[in-house]
Amino acid sequence: MAEHTLRFSPTSSKDVASFKLLELPPDLCALIESAVPPTLTIKGHPSEEAVLCTSNKTYAIRSVVLSNTVLVVTRSPGGNEEDTDTIVIRDQVKEVLELVPSVPRLHKLGVLLRGMGYDEGQDEEGMDVDDDILDGDDDRPPKRRKLTYPDAQREIQASEAELSTALKSQHILILNGALRPITPSYLTTVLELVLTTLISHGLPHTSAVPVKDVVDALAEEYEVKKEVGRQVLEWFGEIVGGVGDREKERWEMDVEGVVREVGLGILRNHKDDPIAEDEFLTQWKKAVGDTFESAVSLPLLSGNYLSTSFPDTHPKTLTYFPSSSLPLDPPSRFSDLFLTRPKWLAADIAPFLADCAVDKKERDKLLLKYARATTEGTGKEVYYTARGKM
Amino acid sequence: MLIPITISSSSTASLPVQLTKLGNDELVLIELQGSLDVECTDSSERDGQMVGTFRLDEGSSKPTLAIGHHLLEGKIVSLPKPFGVIQRSTTPSAPHQNVHNHDPGDAMCGIGSEEGSLRWDMVAIVKKKIVFSKRPMPIVGTATIAVGSSSKKD
Repeated sequence: MAEHTLRFSPTSSKDVASFKLLELPPDLCALIESAVPPTLTIKGHPSEEAVLCTSNKTYAIRSVVLSNTVLVVTRSPGGNEEDTDTIVIRDQVKEVLELVPSVPRLHKLGVLLRGMGYDEGQDEEGMDVDDDILDGDDDRPPKRRKLTYPDAQREIQASEAELSTALKSQHILILNGALRPITPSYLTTVLELVLTTLISHGLPHTSAVPVKDVVDALAEEYEVKKEVGRQVLEWFGEIVGGVGDREKERWEMDVEGVVREVGLGILRNHKDDPIAEDEFLTQWKKAVGDTFESAVSLPLLSGNYLSTSFPDTHPKTLTYFPSSSLPLDPPSRFSDLFLTRPKWLAADIAPFLADCAVDKKERDKLLLKYARATTEGTGKEVYYTARGKM
Repeated sequence: MLIPITISSSSTASLPVQLTKLGNDELVLIELQGSLDVECTDSSERDGQMVGTFRLDEGSSKPTLAIGHHLLEGKIVSLPKPFGVIQRSTTPSAPHQNVHNHDPGDAMCGIGSEEGSLRWDMVAIVKKKIVFSKRPMPIVGTATIAVGSSSKKD
C-alpha cells in the first residue's frame, strides 16, 4: 500500500520550534557519519553570533529564511506498530541554519585576561585585581576572579583544539588552574635564559634536551618558577618521552620559534621609532648567541613589522606593527591597514590578513572585496589600495 | 554558554518502506510552497488532525499529496548539502551539569546552570527531500460525480 495518511503529530503543539535543520558541510557530515560520532557544541552568549564547534573546528551559524515550509515528517511518536499507514508532521520549519567554516573567535580571550599578566617574580596573590574593566557589564560578576581553563572553554567561541593552540601561541600560562598570559618582556628574558643555560651547562642544543635539567637550572640560577619554565619549553618545542617519569623527558626545541620570539622582544621596543634593518639584525643575532645566529632571518617576523619598502629610502628601517593588534573584522582591519599605509605590495599585506581568513582563497576574496588591485612597474608587482567609499 | 548537540537516533519507528529509500529510516522532509495554515483557537486543537493523503508508489519518483479537494504533485530532490535534523531536548544531561558547579553568586554561571538542561539531539541526517512546488490541481472526486448523477435520477 503506497498511500499514507498525513496527520499533525499528536505532539505537534509541544513540538513547535523544537526541530531545526543544520546544513552540513561535507567534512562535517563525514565526521558525523563516522564510526565515532564527534561531540558538537553550540557556543556563544545570547548577544553573540552563535558558533558550532567540533573538537578541532569552528563554524559560524547563519540563519537562512526559506520562503517555503519544510515539514518534518516521522512516524507518530509512541504510535503503535499496526498503524502503518499514518505518518505525522512533527514541526514546520521556515529556516535553515547554514554552517560556514570560521576562524576561532579568540579575541575575547585577550579581553578576559586583561590585567592578569604574569611578570617576573609574581605569584598568584600579587595579581592585580582590576574591577574597572568590567564595570557596567551586567551579566558579569562585579569582582574579578581568575579565569580557569573550563571558564575559557565556555566563554571563548573556539573548539577545544583551537583554544589549546591559542593558549600556546598567545603564551598563556596555566598557574594553579588560572590562565595567566606571560608578559612579552618576561618571556623574552626567559627564552634568552634558556639559550644561555643550554650553552653554559653544556646541554645538547635543539634536540633531546633533558627537560628537568633546564627547568631546575632556570629555577636555581634565575628564580624562574619551575612550572613557568616547563610551560615555556612546551610552547617552544615539544616535550617527548618519559611518560610518568619526568627525569626522562626530552625537549625538542623549535629553534625558529625561540629565535622568532627573541627577535620580537627586540622589535617590540621599536613601535614608534624605527630601527635600521641591519642594526636590528645585529642586535637580534647577539641576543640569541653564536650557536643560534644562523636561524636569524627577517621573514620569521612577518606580520609583525612594517619595513620601508620604497627603494629611495636608505637604510631600510623596521617598525613594530603586530597584526594581533589589528581589529578582527575585515572592514575595520582593511581601513586600519590603509590608514597605516595607503598602498601595499601584495606580499606585504598578506601576513596581516592571515588571522582573519581561514585560507588563501578566503584571503583573496577579502582583498577583492575591500581593496583595489593595480599592477605597476616593470616587475608586474601587484599593489593594493583602498577601495573608494563603500 | 554551551549547548551540546548529541548525535543520536530518534526513538520513533521506521517509516514506510517507500519513504526509507530517501535515505533516512525515520524522518523525511516535505517542502511545501507556502505553509499549512490551520485555524484554531489553541494550537493543541490540531494535534492528531488529518492533513491529507500522501502517496508514493513503489518504483515511482512522483509523490502526490491530496489535501481536501487539492492534489499536489511533487518530486524527489537531492539536497546539495545534507541536512542534520536537530531536535530540542530538555531532559537534563548529567555530564553537562557537572561543568557548572562554581562559586555561588556568580551571575555568569547562574545562566549556565539554567541552560545546562538544554540540549539538542541530531536525530537524522537527510540527503533528499520531497518538494511540492507546483500549483495544486482541483480534484474532481469520483464520489462527487456519483452523488451528482444519482441526484439527477431522483
